[in-house]
Parts: sequence; C-alpha cells; structure tokens
Amino acid sequence: MEKTTIVIGVIGADVHAVGNRIIDYALTQAGFHVVNLGVMVSQKEFIDAAIETNAKAIFVSSLYGHGELDCRGMGDQCKEAGLDNIFLYVGGNLVVGKTDFEAVEAKFKAMGFNRVYPPGSDIEQGIRDIKTDLGILD
Amino acid sequence: MPTYLLFDVGSTYTKGCIVDTDCEEILAIAQSKTTATTDISEGIESVKSKMRNVLATLKIHQTLVCSSAKGGLKMVAVGLVPDLTLKAATLACYSAGAKVVGSYSFKLNTSEIEAIDVSGCDILLLCGGTDGGNTEVVLHNAAKLTSLQKRFPILYAGNKSCRDEVMSILSNAGFDVMPCDNVMPSYGQLEVDSARQKIREQFLATITKAKGLTSLRSVLDDIVLPTPYSVMEALKLLSKGTVNEPGIGDLMAVDIGGATTDVYSINETFVLRDNVGYKGLREPLDKRSVEGDLGVRFNASSVLTLKEQVADENLKHYVEKISNDIHYPPNQMYDTVLASWCCGIATGRHVGRLESAYTPLGVSYYQTGKDLRDVSKLIGIGGPILHSDAPIEILSQALARSESPEILCPQQLDYYLDRNYVVSCLGLLVPKHPDAVLRILKKNVEKINDDQ
Repeated sequence: MEKTTIVIGVIGADVHAVGNRIIDYALTQAGFHVVNLGVMVSQKEFIDAAIETNAKAIFVSSLYGHGELDCRGMGDQCKEAGLDNIFLYVGGNLVVGKTDFEAVEAKFKAMGFNRVYPPGSDIEQGIRDIKTDLGILD
Repeated sequence: MPTYLLFDVGSTYTKGCIVDTDCEEILAIAQSKTTATTDISEGIESVKSKMRNVLATLKIHQTLVCSSAKGGLKMVAVGLVPDLTLKAATLACYSAGAKVVGSYSFKLNTSEIEAIDVSGCDILLLCGGTDGGNTEVVLHNAAKLTSLQKRFPILYAGNKSCRDEVMSILSNAGFDVMPCDNVMPSYGQLEVDSARQKIREQFLATITKAKGLTSLRSVLDDIVLPTPYSVMEALKLLSKGTVNEPGIGDLMAVDIGGATTDVYSINETFVLRDNVGYKGLREPLDKRSVEGDLGVRFNASSVLTLKEQVADENLKHYVEKISNDIHYPPNQMYDTVLASWCCGIATGRHVGRLESAYTPLGVSYYQTGKDLRDVSKLIGIGGPILHSDAPIEILSQALARSESPEILCPQQLDYYLDRNYVVSCLGLLVPKHPDAVLRILKKNVEKINDDQ
C-alpha cells in the first residue's frame, strides 16, 4: 500500500535542526513518507512541496517564538493553492514569554491550523492524532 | 584512428572542420553562410567545397552534424509548481540544447493550448508531480493537450504512478508519446539525464525531417545533435576529463549570439561553504541557461532597454539601425558594449544567490541555485566575442561585483577563447574518441592574456 506523505519543516528564520530530525525519524518509523524541508522554510515552500507530493498533512515546527508571525495566513494560502483538505499541524515554542496556551491555540486555529501543540509535546501524540484525522487504523 | 568531417549548422553561418583523431589535429576549418530558406545541405556543400583540397587527400570515416538552424530545437515545457517541476522541465530542455518557446504551470487552459499550437513547438515535455505524488494536474493536462490542433512528439517525464494513463490518453489522440524518468522524482531532486537522452533521440528522429536536414542523411552518417547539446558535451569533457586524461576543472562558458546568449557552467559541488543551507530545486552541476532576450543583433533593443540609463545616444541610434536592417555595417566598439552587457546580465541570471536571515543565534545563510564563486575559467564562444578586439572587456563582465555579493558569480577568472569555432563540432565526437577529443580541445581552447 502506498505511504501517506507528510511535509515537515521549521518555519521562518530558525536554525534549530535537532527537533526536525527527531520528527522526521519518528514519522518515518510510523510508516509515513516524509518530505523534510529542513530549516528556514517559507510558507510557499511548504505549500509547493505539498502540491507536488500530494501530501495529506503539513507539520510546521517553530521554536523561537515568532511562530505566530511566520504562520499568519498559512491556512488561507493552502486554500488558495487548492489544498482544501490538507491537515495543518503546528508545534514548538510558538510564542515567547508566559502566555496562556489556550489563547495561543485559539490564535493558530483561527489561522487555519487543525491542531496546535504546546512546548514539550511528544511527537508520538502528533502521530496518533494524524492517524486519527486521516482515518488510518493501526 | 579515423578522420571525421564535422559540421555546425548555425542560423547564420555553417562551420565545418576535418578532425584526425590519430594525430589529434584539426586538418581544415571553413565556414559559409547558411541557406536558411532552402535546404541546409547547400551551406554544408559550400563549406565542403572550401575544404576540397584537403578532402581530396583523405578518406573520411564519418560525417557528423550539429544544428541550430531555423531557430534550433524548440520545446514547450509543462509542469506543476513553477519553482519545482516546471523549473526542472525547463532545465531538462535547456540541457538538451533546446530553446523553450513556452512554459506552463498548473492546469492548462484553452488559451494556453492555443498558444502552444502557434509556438512552433517541435517537442513537448510534460511533467508534474513527484513519483507517488500529485496525479490530478498532470492527468488534466494530458487530457487538455488532446485538444491541440498540431501533433508533435510528447515526452512524459512526470509522476510515474499515472504514466500508463497519461500515455494512453495521449497516444489515443494521435500523439507519439515516449516515457522518461521523472525530472523531479522526489521533492527538490533534479534528474534530467533520462529526459535529455530522449530529447536527443527525438531530435534525430523527427526534427531532421522538418528542419530541412533530410537530404543530409545522404551525406551524413550518424549523430545529428542540437548544437548546444554538442557544446555541452565538449565542455563537460574539457572540464571533467577521462580516466586517461585530466580535465581542466570547473569552468563556465558564454556563447553570445545575434538573438540569444547561452551560459554554461560545469562544477563539482553544490554548496561551497559549511555554514550555508540549500533551498529549492537542486540545479544541475552541468547547467545551461538560455537568455532569449539578450543578443547583439536581433535582440539588441531588448538589451538596450535593460541598460537604458547608461547608454549614450550614439549607441541607441546604432541599436535602432541594426534592429531594422540586418545588413547595417557593424561597429566594433558598440558591438563590444552590447556583447559586454549580454555577458554580464546573462551570467548574473545563471548563477545562484546567497540570502541571509537574521535569527536569535546570529546570521544564517542559504543558497539558491549554483555557487560559482570559485570557478576560475571562462570560455568565450561564438562570433560576437571572437570578432571583438576586446574579448576580455566582454568576458570580465561575468565577474562578481562587490556591490552585489549575494550574486554568486566567479571572483577571479582566466579567460579562454574558442578561436577556431571548433567546440561545437568536437562535441559530436566525444562519445567516440573522448581522450583524443579532450586533447584537441585543450589545444584549441586558447587562454588569452590581459593585454590581448
């Protein structure tokens, strides 16, 4: 059976690569075909890759606190690009300072993200969630 | 080892040479005007007659031809995302020596189909989707292409998962369709060799008929290549060498013509510095780019538009004259200025870019395209450079500029000229006698000094 493709990457100007590798490895082990765009990925690159590879989900990582700025409009961009049904997940240190996570989550969901993960989340939860969302049985 | 008769049939001139692969010498060189309106073999016969004294003493093993006559090989590229499979498709076309007369992304619409019908397309390269990726768009495009009035060969170099369906749609509509490996089998990965091969085969099979080369089949034996394909083969050999003979290393070449400027670069590594990341489609290490708006005759006016602020009135007047009258007497000085601009703009477009981003950990660099800063050899090819009395003035425009360090042009250059117009012809012989051809190339590609 053909593997489901997920596009991953670290958005915006961010050089943290270790978490990105961990996510790549975990998703691959879980049976997904991973298209890893690496670091400093723009919204356009995520979307271009998702179109060409027929990806079912985009996992955006952001670790230095400007995630909200970098992710703004991404949901709309996906719609414009014809990616109506793609799942958008985002995780990492999404904002700086002590902010109530529920408020952060609401902001990102308003931008079109299906799921938003707080700092310290385990990628395994993300994997369980995408399987649920895609209707993939274990 | 045998002696070969080689021709490069250009749009204006046909050049010929006789190569002895035994003594590794060029025995004769001649050129004549190409007859564009009638059969091209007339230009070839004219060149042959100029070399008849030498020919009379020899036994020619084979006659081989490369051609860019009648505008050369014209292709249309169709891909999906502009920066991904469409770019990969156009790079494949350029590497095969073609001129891209139309490039289309996403789903084709009716007016784009109409444009393709009048484009003069010889071969269409259909791409889109990584292997196992998007099928929707390329299937749509295959169906849409069936509404073309014209019929020409189509090469399919898109998602292999729907290849059978695509080929069936197109062949049922009367197209000759050939499969190739995907030009972008996975994200960002460029694979043009398979498409390049198939384009070359199609050129031989189909184009020779259309371009007035049919009667040539009686005078030539084997390879007919698009000229830029032949040039690329020669440059690759010169750069990389063979197991027996070393090449000269990384190099670039510029071929300035009346209507277009071609830039070639052949180098060993993508990214030169440790702290730099790479973004986007990997460009080919052997790259050819074609600037269809940069030429010293037919396109002189478009070059002028790009340099409006620095052009003086006399030059503008000259450009107006030559654009309207192909027989207007050439002016060395102005031609050199035009050629310099073509060289500078074309090489600037060909090389990659280095962009920086400010992060909490300092500056991060990432590169798009090719980093050619360390290339130290530039070869000038083609009439406008070779006829100029200041070739270094032209070629030095390829150097990096201190005000734009992000444009990854060479930092220091030695200059070479294809004095005898033999690079394109010699490319024809590369597969047959690589060691001999390499040595002949080294003898004929002449280094020029600063005072020349």
